[in-house]
Amino acid sequence: MRANVVITGIGMVTPLGNNPPEVLRDIERGRSAAGPPTGFDATPFSCPNCAEVRDFQPLQYMSESKMIRLMNRDAQLAVAAAHLALADAAVKPGGAYPPEAIALFGATGMAGLPLREVMPLIKASAGIDGEFDAGRFGRAGLRAVSPLLSFKILSNMPLCFVSICENIQGPNSIYTPWEGQGAQAVEAAIRSLESGVAQCALAGGCDVKTHELAFLSLEQHGLFASWQQSGAGMVPGEGAVFLVLETADRAAARGARMYAQLSRFSFRTHGQGAGRADTYVKLIEALELPREAMGAMVKADNGDVQAGEDERQALSSLRFTAPSVISPKKQMGDLFAAAAALQIGLAALLVEKNGQRVLANCFGHGSEQAAFVLETP
Amino acid sequence: MKHRVVFTGAGLCTPMGRSVEEFWRNLLAGRSGIGRISLFDASSFPVRIGGEVKHLNPEELPGTFPEAGSERDRKIWLGLDAAASALADSRLPYDDYQNALLFVGVSLETFFLEDVTPIVSAPNAARDFARQVLNQGSPCRLQTPLDRLTQILGDHYGLNYGRYTNCSACAAGAQVIGESFRRLRDGTAAVALVGATDSTLNPLALGGFSLLQILSTENDQPEKACRPFDGTRQGTVLAEGAAFVVMETLEHAQGRGARIYAEVLGYGSSLDAYRVTDPEPNGRGAALSMAKAVADAGLTPADIDCVNAHGTGTPKNDIAETRAIKQALGARAQAIPVTANKSMTGHMIATSGALEAIASAMSLHTGKVPPTINLATPDPQCDLDYVAGGCQDFAGRTVLSNSFGFGGQNASLVLGRFDL
Repeated sequence: MRANVVITGIGMVTPLGNNPPEVLRDIERGRSAAGPPTGFDATPFSCPNCAEVRDFQPLQYMSESKMIRLMNRDAQLAVAAAHLALADAAVKPGGAYPPEAIALFGATGMAGLPLREVMPLIKASAGIDGEFDAGRFGRAGLRAVSPLLSFKILSNMPLCFVSICENIQGPNSIYTPWEGQGAQAVEAAIRSLESGVAQCALAGGCDVKTHELAFLSLEQHGLFASWQQSGAGMVPGEGAVFLVLETADRAAARGARMYAQLSRFSFRTHGQGAGRADTYVKLIEALELPREAMGAMVKADNGDVQAGEDERQALSSLRFTAPSVISPKKQMGDLFAAAAALQIGLAALLVEKNGQRVLANCFGHGSEQAAFVLETP
Repeated sequence: MKHRVVFTGAGLCTPMGRSVEEFWRNLLAGRSGIGRISLFDASSFPVRIGGEVKHLNPEELPGTFPEAGSERDRKIWLGLDAAASALADSRLPYDDYQNALLFVGVSLETFFLEDVTPIVSAPNAARDFARQVLNQGSPCRLQTPLDRLTQILGDHYGLNYGRYTNCSACAAGAQVIGESFRRLRDGTAAVALVGATDSTLNPLALGGFSLLQILSTENDQPEKACRPFDGTRQGTVLAEGAAFVVMETLEHAQGRGARIYAEVLGYGSSLDAYRVTDPEPNGRGAALSMAKAVADAGLTPADIDCVNAHGTGTPKNDIAETRAIKQALGARAQAIPVTANKSMTGHMIATSGALEAIASAMSLHTGKVPPTINLATPDPQCDLDYVAGGCQDFAGRTVLSNSFGFGGQNASLVLGRFDL
């Protein structure tokens, strides 16, 4: 698919910081944010490390402090990244664009509920035999948790908090839970702008995979298998990334800084039984890349040995090369629902820095795979 | 080029029936699907009523869907049942599946507390919790990703043209129809399987929603507990269910001689940007969603002939929605029927938008508007024609269907009677 949408704002809250050019610089220098989790003991797990956002202060990004206690960490990170993206683009709802003309498309991950918050509820619900007792749950368990628990489980809440904190009232949709769904959020934003449904769009995602429940789920769903087999693998991360998108005409009309144009994108469903490398080949072929050399590539490689090999095979069979290649997930963890926006945001920074065309691979878990091409507007 | 988009198949798995015909018959008759909760012991809960799907035998599913053999999450069973029915109802040739989009709406994950309670209540639980869970092996999966149904349906039917899992809470069911409508209209695809599923009738979800104090606690009269737009309403009632449709471009549907229920004419979505706990009291965001849908359909408010309301039965929603309908439709709001299916179905959260879109299509297809039951005491702030007292004949050509989600996500669809 061809597109004529530009990125005018980038907001990142990542394990390598929240200043996009510095994040890119750290990645290019090979800095890693991975380390043992600070909130729990990782020894039962196959994966020993995660990539955490350190010293995050949500109050820096929102005016209503009491709203913070309604939010899980995913939502706090999302609000911060969205705020940074809008500020970077100098877009204030009600300014260049009315709030109802600004779209919000995002992706969220699996429910980011720290176990410590539900432990009291579960303990209070145990019968004499130690088994779950629904009667006790109703009598005692419910009293042991905050009435606001639901707001931390509902997967749409992070984006709703973004809309409230930034007064965004336009078209919207929320996808879940993997990397490909984050790419779908960007696709939806492009569609909304090109069809005229929205004048400006905020697209991105948030995810927190650095707590014990997330590690348990990732282990149970086999996402740490590479660690078991090879002693290396994907490192879970946390963060939020949002991009401000506009049509080139509108951005130019308001004199906006344009990082890059999202000129082509491709999606492919990885169906049951297909080889991942084959899926990636078809995905990249569908981009109909121009003959001129690609200046750089943001690889999807997250450290998982098999996934990395699939991507390498696909690129090799296409004889695809680029003089500059970065693999951000290997240094700052896999941000899952936020990963696509991160890949695209970093690609946009590379375009602005080097003036060359960049391929951003948004491959990941689940069936939906995507790739984007960015170039100078 | 813009393509016209139509519904050519529908499948339901609800407390009021597992076929469109049964559901529609009960809806027109004003029969409630709400009863006492039997799925677990809810006797100590402040809310003990809900809309349960009866006679759903999960043992049958693995025969049809071997991929779902180990799934324990009811919303997956409900969704499989409804999606299979929709595909069968549409008689879509199998060759078309590979080029079909798949959109699924869901809301929140199901946590199986019975799996983890013995571990948590054991000595040294905090220290050894993760190790013990992992040692239990696969039966104790703490989380099922919300795209699990999407994955099973996609793999089973070979739907490889794009799979989307939307988690926009109560707006999800309408949003998935709206988003696939846009993609079919612009020619991205010609066919889509679209729907939503939800089951909040489990201890954690029911307990969580109870704490928000939005649920009716009138446990002694389950079928009368949900009273949208009634002056004595106390809250909504949770229900479970799934609703799927097959959507096609008109050319594609006509090319294969498909039966057409209704046409999708327009879609709009908006955000309240107000509070996560309450709807914007004047209905600003909801009105915007409706106005966008009407404009997207190329219509004016005077062209809207009926509203299928979100109508939850909570004190705040029904007033805000009434105000929103008046804002969006102006004088037309007083001249047309406004029906609230949740008075009978209960609130199926993610599913409700898809279910009510099917009900709206059936109104256009059969010429009947279902009643809003339990509406006996007027509320001066809810002063539209809510179809109290029984179903009405309907000769109109359009229905506006509303879905408003927790957190302030709004979605509206305009459906039209199909004419060549």
